[in-house]
Parts: sequence; structure tokens; C-alpha cells
Amino acid sequence: MSRVKDLQKNLFGGTTSNARQFGMIFTLVAIVVLFQILTDGLTLRSDNLIALFQQNSYILILAIGMLMVIVAGHIDLSVGSIAAFTGILVAKAMAEWNLPWPVGILFGLAIGAVIGAWQGFWVAYIGVPAFIVTLAGMLLFRGGNQFIGNANTIPVPEGFRVIGSGFLPETGPNTGYNNLTLLLGLAGCIAVVWRELQARRTRKEMNAEPIPMWISILRMAVMVGVLIFVTLRFASGRVGTSFPVSGIILVALVLVYSFYTRNTAGGRHIYAVGGNSRAAELSGVKLKRVNFFVMMNMSVLAALAGMIFVARSAASGPQDGNGWELDAIAAVFIGGAAVAGGIGTISGSIVGGLVMAVLNNGLQLMGVGTDRVQIIKGLVLLLAVAIDVYNKSQGRFSIIGSLTRPFRRDTPAAPTPSSGAEREPAKTTVAG
Amino acid sequence: MRKFIGKTVAVGAIAMLALTACGSGRDEGTSGSGSEAKGFPASSLIGVALPAKTSENWVLAGDLFTNGLKEAGFQADVQYAGASTTVADQQAQITAMVTKGAKVIVIGATDAAQLSTQVAAAHQAGAKVIAYDRLIVNSPDVDYYVAFDNFKVGQLQGQALLDGMKAKKPNGPYNIELFSGSPDDNNSKVFFDGAMSVLQPEIDKGTVVVASGQKDIKQTAIQGWKAEGAQARMDQLLTSTYGSKELDGVLSPNDTLARAIITSVKGAGKPVPVVSGQDSEVESVKSIVAGEQYMTINKDTRTLVKQTIEMVKALQAGNTPQVNDTKTYNNGSKVVDTFLLPPVAVTKANAAEAYANDPKLAPLTK
Repeated sequence: MSRVKDLQKNLFGGTTSNARQFGMIFTLVAIVVLFQILTDGLTLRSDNLIALFQQNSYILILAIGMLMVIVAGHIDLSVGSIAAFTGILVAKAMAEWNLPWPVGILFGLAIGAVIGAWQGFWVAYIGVPAFIVTLAGMLLFRGGNQFIGNANTIPVPEGFRVIGSGFLPETGPNTGYNNLTLLLGLAGCIAVVWRELQARRTRKEMNAEPIPMWISILRMAVMVGVLIFVTLRFASGRVGTSFPVSGIILVALVLVYSFYTRNTAGGRHIYAVGGNSRAAELSGVKLKRVNFFVMMNMSVLAALAGMIFVARSAASGPQDGNGWELDAIAAVFIGGAAVAGGIGTISGSIVGGLVMAVLNNGLQLMGVGTDRVQIIKGLVLLLAVAIDVYNKSQGRFSIIGSLTRPFRRDTPAAPTPSSGAEREPAKTTVAG
Repeated sequence: MRKFIGKTVAVGAIAMLALTACGSGRDEGTSGSGSEAKGFPASSLIGVALPAKTSENWVLAGDLFTNGLKEAGFQADVQYAGASTTVADQQAQITAMVTKGAKVIVIGATDAAQLSTQVAAAHQAGAKVIAYDRLIVNSPDVDYYVAFDNFKVGQLQGQALLDGMKAKKPNGPYNIELFSGSPDDNNSKVFFDGAMSVLQPEIDKGTVVVASGQKDIKQTAIQGWKAEGAQARMDQLLTSTYGSKELDGVLSPNDTLARAIITSVKGAGKPVPVVSGQDSEVESVKSIVAGEQYMTINKDTRTLVKQTIEMVKALQAGNTPQVNDTKTYNNGSKVVDTFLLPPVAVTKANAAEAYANDPKLAPLTK
């Protein structure tokens, strides 16, 4: 029993939101295995994995920003329109002003920042609910897209397409694999091992109860194993393909934003605002600044997502961005974020997005039509959230339960979060 | 306790996956390039990617492809794009077809300019690409294009409009309004130009007047071929221009829009003008027989699908498919070999004859 308990506590972390996230990882693995069988091994073939990442990187990038918006207690309905608006502006700028493509990307990000500042201003400083501001933005920028593009489809230059459909170059000796992808995978493995050792050292320094060695090793083995598997898959695609550039952008963003939301004061302030904005403000969190930041950040990421889609499509079209906001929001909620704000993680949202992506891809490989795919996706979204709500009411994985736990008699001296910044609590042991 | 077991199983599953699938080489996918000219097995997979089910024609085409390809011994994978996220869906569907190893991919593009990446990937994997009804632009990887002669469609629409108005009212000037299709469909401009090639001389002579003055294709376009768009535009034209004037004719690029236009005119309590159409949709054929919509174009989807399947069969046997136009259709990267089929104009007068072979439409004309 104790070993199982150790495992539960330590392998994926012992907190409730991690437990929820683990549920999603389990679902993801189950779906992958299911489709791997149903499609006779097409799902995990290199070319399909590469396509999967290229097709969904822009939605996952949106999910990163959307998670932060939702954690802060807002919603953003305008991301699809902003993506389309940025896409057409960048495409036109490159076509008509002969802007070199790197400048085009910077131009696009700047547009995103300006739009984000506009929306952030209304949300944070005027106090208009984000739902309204972004509903307005959805109309505004969709109209802007058609006004500027005349509903034409405008092609983008070859160089620009790299961010959407590009691959790492083939360099170095012929190993039978894409060498740069192998290097990336290796770096990933080293990072995993280093992080694990670092965590052990920190616990030792803080005189915390050390994680049993065998669990550390098991955890490393699993993660390194998955990494090696994925790396070899991506590296062994058709010559000229590798881990896609859009995937690299995504991974970099996930790492940066995960660190930001987990380990920095600024990131924790977002959770504080979403958990209880009044308490957060009284604890010294600059409410307006946080709200402004999350809205602005979302628009910048939407601009980036729009450009990646345009790059992948080789052209900016009038139907870009339709319905993206819903995909991003679904990913965030499937990934365990709370509708009321304050709870959720970047990695959870990515897993949530991947669940939808694999589902989509697998059903398409089986030749299921989009009508039925939509029905299935709708049911999955509903079920994922319903199971969470049900578990809460049953006292399992419970968010409310974990909130009240510190006040039980068996945990002495209820640790009141000093800054009010932690509404994702349960650093305490999960009692059976 | 149960969840612990669940976790253990999950960990095991991940480890299993990692162990079982390592060590495959990277030569998959490259095999296609060497043996292109030789054809492929007769039971191969043929992918068909069609736009969203917004018109009866696409649904019919899908059914015909499914049955026709099966009869010819192929495996068919026929997909429609979703209703709202059309382009992304179609991109993903084409990629999935390539993954599944389709030998020929037939594409009715939702946005003809946003598929070049996927088409290139298909080509690299050794699949042939046939653009169906809509020419995929800015891509050197389109092998064939099969369609009806769309400029001719426009000409027939324009001519029928003139004939219909003359039959109702022997002498002009006639007041007309112009509608064109979705601006992201490159056929829209071809239809419109075809129609204008007939109408413009009459407009110059003054016998035909576009009363609202909206003659530019940017003003006449209906985004996404959506009926509600056409209805709204017609409502506005009636309010702004036809308070006292009489509307004699409307150039409509297809049946869906034609019916929306007629609905709008009827809603405003005005007499139904001469309205052109295209596609021979069931409701429009009924409307023509009832004397409301004036004309439609019969681009028999059966013939088009049949021709496409003929091309697939030729490719399968390793032959070059038959084409009848190797000069006109430049997609921006290359001139695509094309097979053009002739369209037929249908009015109440010749409806019975035109649809005699169509099991669904023939009963409506009796």
C-alpha cells in the first residue's frame, strides 16, 4: 500500500489539480492507443504525428493565452477574428510593401500588441466585462479582415511559410534520422533528468521528506522513454521533414509560459486575481495591470497563431480564424480549468487540446465525416467537464474538498495563504 | 485504490508504446517518387475532399464518388469540410488522406488558394492531385483540372436574362441587378465575366440599366455563397432603388442565391423578375416549372463525376488521362491540363428534355 501511495503522491505530483491533469493524460494515452489500433498503426506514424502538430500548433498556442485569460476570470471570444485580421494585414503588407518576411512577423506581433492594448484598456481600466469587449472585438476585427482583404485570398512569400509548414534542415552525417530533431530530443532528455535531480537537491536543502529514489528513477524513465519515442518518430519521417517549426515555437512558448505562471510572482498574481480579485487587490496585487496583461498577451498570441495558420495555408483567406476561439476554450476546459477562474495549468490545457486534436485526427483517418466528428467532440467536451463536476460532488479529486482540507482538525495550524495568491492549494498530503 | 491501478496501467501503457515502436527507419513515404508513371493497384485508396455541404450538388457529388469509385474497384474516402472551419478541416482531411496512402486525391477546394502546402505533401508522397470544379491556384503540384466551362456558364446566364426580359416586355430599357458568387471561389469571377461579356454591350447601348449602379464585382459578391447574404443585399437594393422603379431582371450566379433573391422580392410584395441561376437544384427546378425562377444551368454532376473517375482509372492503368484544354487554365504556378465539359441552359421550355435522364429531376418536369 505504501509504495502505491508513494507513487500516487510523487509520480505526477500529489495535488488535486495534478490528479485531474493526470486523468487527462490517461485519457490522452487511451485515445492514442485506441486510434493506433483502430487505424492499423497510422496514428503514431511519423508523417501523421508531424501533420498532427502542424495542424494544431496554432490552436494550442491560443490555448496557452486562453488559459491565462480564463484563470484570471475572463474569456476571449475575439481570438479568431484577431488572428484573421493580423493574417490579412501581414499578408498584404508583405505583398504590397515588399516587407521582408521577418519584418512581417514582427509587424504582425506589433499589431497583436496594439489590438491587445485596445482590448486590455477596456477590460482593465474601464471595467467593461471581457465577454463584451471581445464580442465587440470579434465583430470589429472580422469586419476589419474583410474590409482590408476585400474577402480575397492573398498568398504569402516562401520564406514566411517556414513558421507554419517549415522543418528543421538536414545537416551533419547521415544517421538515417533528422539530426537536429535528435539533438532537440537529447536536450529534452537532459532537461528532464537535470530537473529531477535539481528537485531532489532542493528537497534535501529544505529538509523536506525526500522522494524515494525508485520513484525518481521510474519517473525519469517514463519521461525519457516517451521523449525518446517521440523524438525517433519525428526524426524518422520522410527525408526533408522533422519536428515541425511550428511545433518548436509551441514547445518554446509552453516552457516559457509554464515557468511564468508557476514560478514567478507575476504569474501567481493571475491565479490570485481569478481566485478572488478583491482579496488579491487588498493583498497588493495590481489588479488592473494583471487584467491588462492577460488580455494583451492573448491578442499577441492570437496574432502569432494567425500568422502560423496563414504560413501553413500559404495564403491569408477570408475564412481564417472561424471558430478558433471555441477550440481554444474547449482545450482549456477539457484540460481542467475552472469556469469561475483561478484554477488551471498550461500543461493541462495543452493536454486538453491534444485530446481534441488526436480525436479529430483519428476520426478523420478512419474516414468519419466532419458532421459526426463535431458531434463526438461536443460530447467529449461535455463529458470531460461533467466528470470533473461529478467527482467534486463525490469528494474525489475535489477542488472544494481540497480548499477546506487545511481547516480540518488533523492538520494543525491551518496555513492561511499569506499573499492570497494561492487558490490552487493542497500542498498538504492528500489523505487517502 | 482503483485510481492507483489506473495510474499504474497508464504508466505501463506509455512505457509499452515507447518500447514497441522504436527503431523504425525513415524511408517510408519516399517510395512513391520512383514508380509514378507505372500506375497503381486497382484496389488502392482514392481520396475525395469536398467543401461543406452548402449545396445539394456537393452532397450528390459525394454520393456519386462513393458509389462510382467503389464500382470501379477502388477504396473511396469521401470527406466534406465542416460548416464553420472549412479551410482547416479540408487541410486536415487532405493530410489524413495522404497519410492513409491515397493514390489519387480529388479536391473540390473550399478556398482554392490555401491548399498548396497539403497538395505539395500529397505530391511528395506520390499521390496525383485532380482539382474538381475549382482550380487550386498558386501550386505547381496540381496534376489535372476537371470542370464545366464556367465562362460559358456566365454567357448562357447573361443571354437567358436578356431573352427572358424580352419575352416579358418587348421593349427596353430594362432595369437589372447583378449578383456574383463568393469572392474566395475563383469561379465566381469567371461566371461574372462570362455574363458581363453578354450584358455589357447592352448596358453600353442603354437598353439594359443597372439601376443601383452597383456593377463592380466587389459590390455584387456574396461571401460564402450564402443565401442570407443574397437575401439581405436584395432587400437593401429594393429599399434603396426600387421604391417606384420596376425591376426586370436579376443576374444570379447560382440557384441558392436565385431563390433567396426571389424570396426577398416576394417579401417586398413586388412581381418576380427574370432571375438566372445555376446547378439545377431541386427547389429551383420546381420554381422554374412553376414559372418563378426563369432559368438554371444544367451542369450534370453525374457527367463531371464520371469524367473524374475516368481520369482516376486512366491514372490507375498508368496512362495519361484525356484532356481537352492545355492552354487556358494557368493557376499562377503552371498551366494545368484540363478537361472541360459543356454546360446547358435550362428554362421552362426545355426542362423536360434537359432532365430526361435525371431520376430525381425528371418527375418534377412532368
